[in-house]
Amino acid sequence: MNRRSLLAGAAAASGAALFARFGRLVGADIPAARRRLLQVNGYPVDAETPLDVLTTYLTPNDLFFVRHHWVPLFPDPERWKLTIDGDVSRPVELTIADLKKLPEASVTSVLQCAENGRGHFKPYIPGVQWSDGAVGNARWTGARVKDVLAKAGLKRGVKHLHTLGSDKPPLRVPPFHRSLDIEKALEDGVIAYEMNGEPLPEEHGAPARLVVPGWSGNHWMKWLVRLAPRPAAQKGFYMDVSYRFPKKPGAPGVVFTPEEMAPVTELPVKSSITTYPERTKAGAPAAVAGFAFSGAGEIAKVEISVDDGATWKAAALGQDHDRFAWRLWSHTFTPHAPGKVRLLARATDSRGGVQPREAVWNQNGYFHSGWQAVEIEVDA
Amino acid sequence: MRRAVLAAAVLLACASLVAAQAGKELKSRVETRAVRVVPMIDSSLPGFGLQFADLPPGPAKDTAEYACLTCHSADVLRQQRLSERQWAAAVTKMNGWGADVPEAKRDELIAYLVKNFGPDNDRFKPVVTRPIGR
Repeated sequence: MNRRSLLAGAAAASGAALFARFGRLVGADIPAARRRLLQVNGYPVDAETPLDVLTTYLTPNDLFFVRHHWVPLFPDPERWKLTIDGDVSRPVELTIADLKKLPEASVTSVLQCAENGRGHFKPYIPGVQWSDGAVGNARWTGARVKDVLAKAGLKRGVKHLHTLGSDKPPLRVPPFHRSLDIEKALEDGVIAYEMNGEPLPEEHGAPARLVVPGWSGNHWMKWLVRLAPRPAAQKGFYMDVSYRFPKKPGAPGVVFTPEEMAPVTELPVKSSITTYPERTKAGAPAAVAGFAFSGAGEIAKVEISVDDGATWKAAALGQDHDRFAWRLWSHTFTPHAPGKVRLLARATDSRGGVQPREAVWNQNGYFHSGWQAVEIEVDA
Repeated sequence: MRRAVLAAAVLLACASLVAAQAGKELKSRVETRAVRVVPMIDSSLPGFGLQFADLPPGPAKDTAEYACLTCHSADVLRQQRLSERQWAAAVTKMNGWGADVPEAKRDELIAYLVKNFGPDNDRFKPVVTRPIGR
């Protein structure tokens, strides 16, 4: 095989892979009857994906959960500019064409809202009462944050990357000013203009949004218009009060002080059950499936228990995997006697993090990652 | 009804096939790309982002509508399960953010919110919608 045929073969293989991933096959086996979203707020629109839809490695764009803080005015892509200022050598403004001139980078990553699962916390917590579907897995493509910031040149001593989107809060609601550790942004950050091989949809932050693989959605600024490297973190409601998580667990219902909490960043290890029979027969094998992810690294194992966590059996992990993506899993369970079975799943990541039985109660209702249970009725 | 929905679905499918074919011919002259096959959906579902909840009747309904619905739909109120203390804190927070709650109406509003969306509120159901843009 000569070099040219090798290249042609590689191109054909990557083309086929691209088609498989981004052509008609992204989520194509999700049946029509299941293609729906659960809208939890009409305006600003908040909607989650039913768990029985999240059965594919990549989540289709039109079924991906949506979280808006305020009713956004979508930027005009023709006039959109990304400003990079702050502690840089030369402030710059980039158009979408400028971004596309930079080397293209892609990452497959879970995007999970920090609030996912808030509705499960007791005592109840104010805010959008998400169930389990404010999460999805997509292929994000754009320019690396590292390459974008290099255009402006970082000054010495910058530690935080301040980010701003174009959506404006109403009345006296504080702006969604955010910042994140600049090391994380430089290492893994992407300014994405494509989602699953299609232009980034407006609901998901078009023309470009920040992608922070492995970290919660609050860092993934939509309708991104400004990046500013700074020595200090951003201040304000959405940094100092909101999006903070206890450094140590406390008792449910006991409010933590801001000092007892740190900003939410890395997604805790978690698994969800997407497929199971509500009813089955004793002796008949039942198919159970789901997904698992961790911001700390890849999923090492997913286990299933039908005796409230006393014993566990390993589930089979799906073939597709990427460092920040979720891993599909499947398991066949054969009940031996009639009655009600309560089936649990728990995940372990490659760093040794194990999904806990109970999530850590916190007054903002972030990072619900306790074991999910489903009930299966077994007939004789 | 079921027959009408089926007929509408068949019509839609035919229309999208014709449109896809027209698009395919047009596109094939300028570029060669895979034609996207758009999966079928349940077209009886409401469109995404088009349906908003109402507030239940009560003495403070007008106050709640005026103060709360400027910024968000009633859905987010209807799903809350908060104690009186939590509702009082929420009203204070929203007041600070610009929600117009006259001092004379504050207690009545809190009582209305606790009565309808207190800790035993289990009536909220999300709106099942079509996929985005479909």
